Amino acid sequence: MSTGTTAVRVELFGSPQLLTGRRQVEVPGRTLREVAGALAHEFPALAGSVIDPATGWLTGGYIFVVDGRFTRDPSYPVGPGSTVLLVSAQAGGVS
Amino acid sequence: MNAVHGRYLQIDLSSGTATARQLTEAVFARLLGGVGLASYLLYRFCPPGADPLEPENPLIFASSPFIGTGITTASKIAVVAKSPQTGMIGDSLSSSYLALALKRTGYDALVVTGQAPSWTVLAVDDGEIRLLPAGELLGLDPAATAHAIRAELGSGFRVAAIGVAGECGVRYASISNDGRLAGRTGSGAVMGSKRLKAIAVRGTQRLPVVADPRGVVRAARELAERSLGPGTAKYRELGTAANLAFFSRLGVLPTRNFQAGTFEAAEAISGERLFLEHRTDKHGCAACTIGCEHHYRTRDASEAVEVRLEYESLFALGSLCGISDPNAVLRAAALCDRYGMDAISTGSTIAWAMECVERGVRLPGSPDEWPRFGDAGSLVRAVQTIGERRGLGDLLAEGSRRAAEIVGQGSVEWAMHVKGLELPGYDPRKLKAMALGFAVSTRGACHNRSSAYEVDFSDQLDPHAEALAWASAAASSEDRAAVLDSLTVCKFLRHCFSDFFAEAAELFALVTGLPMTAVGLRLAGERINTVKKLFNLDQGWTRADDTLPPRLLSGEAGGLTAAELDRLIQAYYCVRGWDEQGRVPPGRLRELELAELLSQDGRMMYGYAG
Repeated sequence: MSTGTTAVRVELFGSPQLLTGRRQVEVPGRTLREVAGALAHEFPALAGSVIDPATGWLTGGYIFVVDGRFTRDPSYPVGPGSTVLLVSAQAGGVS
Repeated sequence: MNAVHGRYLQIDLSSGTATARQLTEAVFARLLGGVGLASYLLYRFCPPGADPLEPENPLIFASSPFIGTGITTASKIAVVAKSPQTGMIGDSLSSSYLALALKRTGYDALVVTGQAPSWTVLAVDDGEIRLLPAGELLGLDPAATAHAIRAELGSGFRVAAIGVAGECGVRYASISNDGRLAGRTGSGAVMGSKRLKAIAVRGTQRLPVVADPRGVVRAARELAERSLGPGTAKYRELGTAANLAFFSRLGVLPTRNFQAGTFEAAEAISGERLFLEHRTDKHGCAACTIGCEHHYRTRDASEAVEVRLEYESLFALGSLCGISDPNAVLRAAALCDRYGMDAISTGSTIAWAMECVERGVRLPGSPDEWPRFGDAGSLVRAVQTIGERRGLGDLLAEGSRRAAEIVGQGSVEWAMHVKGLELPGYDPRKLKAMALGFAVSTRGACHNRSSAYEVDFSDQLDPHAEALAWASAAASSEDRAAVLDSLTVCKFLRHCFSDFFAEAAELFALVTGLPMTAVGLRLAGERINTVKKLFNLDQGWTRADDTLPPRLLSGEAGGLTAAELDRLIQAYYCVRGWDEQGRVPPGRLRELELAELLSQDGRMMYGYAG
């Protein structure tokens, strides 16, 4: 992680957790786009199915939850106190 | 129109006779097929006040125009009856080759009425029926039953069967076919009440042709390709079990009978952990390209069992009962399948009993057999006693609402159901749209007939949005679900459309040749939900039935209050064009073009005084 940048704690669920082997990571970033880029950089396994290498942003199957708010807004601001979750965009199931 | 036969077969088990009856084009044009068609037939055949476990309750199996067209996932059969849990409409869907077999018989639906004189297998061989003795099949699980029937009748037959739970009258017994379940609302108990152990169907007729074969092939291919994209990634990779750890983190994982929304042992039974330590393989349903069915195996000292597991079974037999042992959860889920009963209602009713024990409420039977939160052995034993209706299980087989009414001692306060159907794995205290969806759903607490949780799990609405906005979102979600259920297309496809109603309308037109627009299809969804509501009104529904258990309305920790839910419900009635009591005014029926379709039955009261 670069010095002088904000470290954000990101909790990973589902495939992102399996791909990284981590439930929780810390990456630099002031917006969700920067967080996504940092995740792809530090955990190359996420590039492709979770984060599109071409755009540096989430693929359609994933969404962030920041302090309880679901968002796919790349400009959404985050900081050291933010609670950021990376989860599947398809909630729920059938029965 | 194309892609349907325009007729159904009414089978009276009491007399052993079958009668072919016509279905008009208007029924399909307005109600599509599947659950819409079956709801219409239920409305026609089930008299007001019918006892769900008496011969007068029809058991209906319905196909759809999409079945057999090559459209991915569209091989689901709708199973509908008056529910012995709710006393209102009970509708389920099950993916299987049975749906294809039924359509190849030359009929769009089966309406089974009456009661067989003794335990019976109903064989439907194209248009011919036979009632065969089933005495030797009693006590077998659904898979063994199907195996025995196909060995005797031939592998061309597809079988829907009940297990011991259906034989014993467990109110939340399910119907199983090809390992898939028409799981919720107790259709297996209805089937058992008819002394019907199984239905075996063989169809050899040509499938009705679609209106635009080339167009359907093109559209089906495109949809199949999209079904392998990001819109279904979760289901293909981890399955719905992936919900558990995330839901716990959000505080919406029902835990110890909804006493908490976070389970401290969630990691131990998380989908991720199950994937790494228990998953064996993955399957797809009939005619499905997604392949979301994940199988898991127990890994402990006892005899290994392998079972398909979804999030709903995992939460109901796991966190809801405070169980952190994944082997126990898998074993309990396998038992539910073997007995043939709904895992959600099973787990929730056991959780109710566990809370009774925790609070010192006396239950029938020996305290040694009472289930306790966190006690894995007691969970598995409780499932067994329910499946066989013995000991305490005889009480729990009635479901949480009836069991609480029998036991009393204040236990109705923690019976977690809506209209008698136990809640699925979404704690609605923090999920406003889902709370409304649960409260107003015609089949009771249900995430599938509403899917309103998608509004909560997205940025569609500001948390402080007006009640009307939440109500509109919940109604839209219900209408989309009704369309999917009536076209018999899997809900896991819903994210594969960029404009669902427009694209599905185009598919419907290509298949049937009937004109359809996005607005028309959305209206069809509303119409289907209205038919279900009309059935409930006929069966005695009142405004008081649209609510949530008191525990969920305390307003604690910023959660929902009774006043807030009431505002949401009133807004929902307004969006639907219903009156303040939730009844459907005759003018609304005319606007929905339902008045004429249903008036042939001569009962147009729908909750209004005659």
